[in-house]
Amino acid sequence: MIWDMWKQGFDAWEKATAQYMEKVLTNPSVLGPAGAMLTAAMKTKAATDRAMSAWWAGLGLPTRRDQERALHKLNQLESRLYDLEEQLVDKKRAGA
Amino acid sequence: MPPPKKGPIDSLLALVRRAPKGPPPVGETPHDVVWTENKWRLLHFSSSGRRYRRPILLVPSLINRWYVLDLGPGRSLIEWLVARGHDVYCIDWGTPGDEDRYLTWDDICGRYLGRAVRLVARRSDSDVHVLGYCLGGTIAAAYVAAFPDDVASLLALAAPVDFAHAGIMSTWTRTPTFDVGAILDAFGNIPWPLMQASFRMLRPTLNAAKVVGLLDRAWDDEFLDGFLATERWGNDNVSFPGACYQRYIDELYRQNRLVAGTFSVLGRPARLPAIECPTLAVAFADDNIVPAAAAGPLVELVSSRDKQVVIDRGGHVGAVVSRKAADRLWPALHTFWAQRD
Repeated sequence: MIWDMWKQGFDAWEKATAQYMEKVLTNPSVLGPAGAMLTAAMKTKAATDRAMSAWWAGLGLPTRRDQERALHKLNQLESRLYDLEEQLVDKKRAGA
Repeated sequence: MPPPKKGPIDSLLALVRRAPKGPPPVGETPHDVVWTENKWRLLHFSSSGRRYRRPILLVPSLINRWYVLDLGPGRSLIEWLVARGHDVYCIDWGTPGDEDRYLTWDDICGRYLGRAVRLVARRSDSDVHVLGYCLGGTIAAAYVAAFPDDVASLLALAAPVDFAHAGIMSTWTRTPTFDVGAILDAFGNIPWPLMQASFRMLRPTLNAAKVVGLLDRAWDDEFLDGFLATERWGNDNVSFPGACYQRYIDELYRQNRLVAGTFSVLGRPARLPAIECPTLAVAFADDNIVPAAAAGPLVELVSSRDKQVVIDRGGHVGAVVSRKAADRLWPALHTFWAQRD
């Protein structure tokens, strides 16, 4: 009984708070600065990573980005090979 | 005399009893992996008592694990469909690696989904029913609009299509100071913790509500198993491939190009009016991730003569995997496919 009453109160609080938070979190005066802060943090991280990469590349070693690009190209090549195999199967079927 | 009503003390005791068992098993319906490419896999759930000719291809969201559709015995849409004689395939998008920051919308929607559709069609010697859930539905709709071959029908489950009405997410992504490029420069892929945090911000009180709900009902073993399975899934997210995310935000959330008819996949126009196959859009009235106003308009935009929209009660996940789903939603999906076999 006490639990049921408390839960009713909680449900009312939760609904009201969620509605209020939705208003706050869609308010341009909140979203604008929040977006700017996120962007600034991201740019700082990217700049730090770039500086690290430049130092690493200065030693003549492949950077993380170089390795990512190479691996992505390999994945793309694999996909293109599968495309070709599919086309061959289709041609064989059409010819059969 | 009715049994005494159970309360939070019983729930706490049930949680203590349940703790040693660990998380509930998920993704347990027997399946074979019939294709692997980069990180994605095509899973096949064959039915021993197959009754329907056309196979079903399930396309889950990119940012969640596929096993939301196979969330354990009694909560699994896949298990339920297989038991009714459907031949089911499901895409597992896998976990993107750092190199997948360059993976584009064209790669995922055009190449990977395209390959999955063609493989299923070839293996079954039939065209394919395609179901897309959440972002998977958006990807499926864009694909079918550009490449309608081999697709027997399109079922979009809580799939955002009209991004002008995509709720809070739309407001956030349209904020001018939100710079997608800066996040991609910093991280490559969009890290899943960042996305999970933004989903939690959609309803910041949700975790407190979950704890209270758990105290209220954890004494019910079936509820507790379902809750734990859903939580396991909800906390097992994957990062969003960077280049794909950039296009998703720029062209869909900000420019609403699917609705405008200016979206493309692998260089082919992806105009929704080009979709002529039977189409069903399912939206949920309490869905705060994909509001019904964002999911429902699909049927207004396609040219299919056989089309319908269903707006059901429930939220984005609960309405798809709960006990109520087995009573209402799953039979509706089964009927849609059975009538169009």
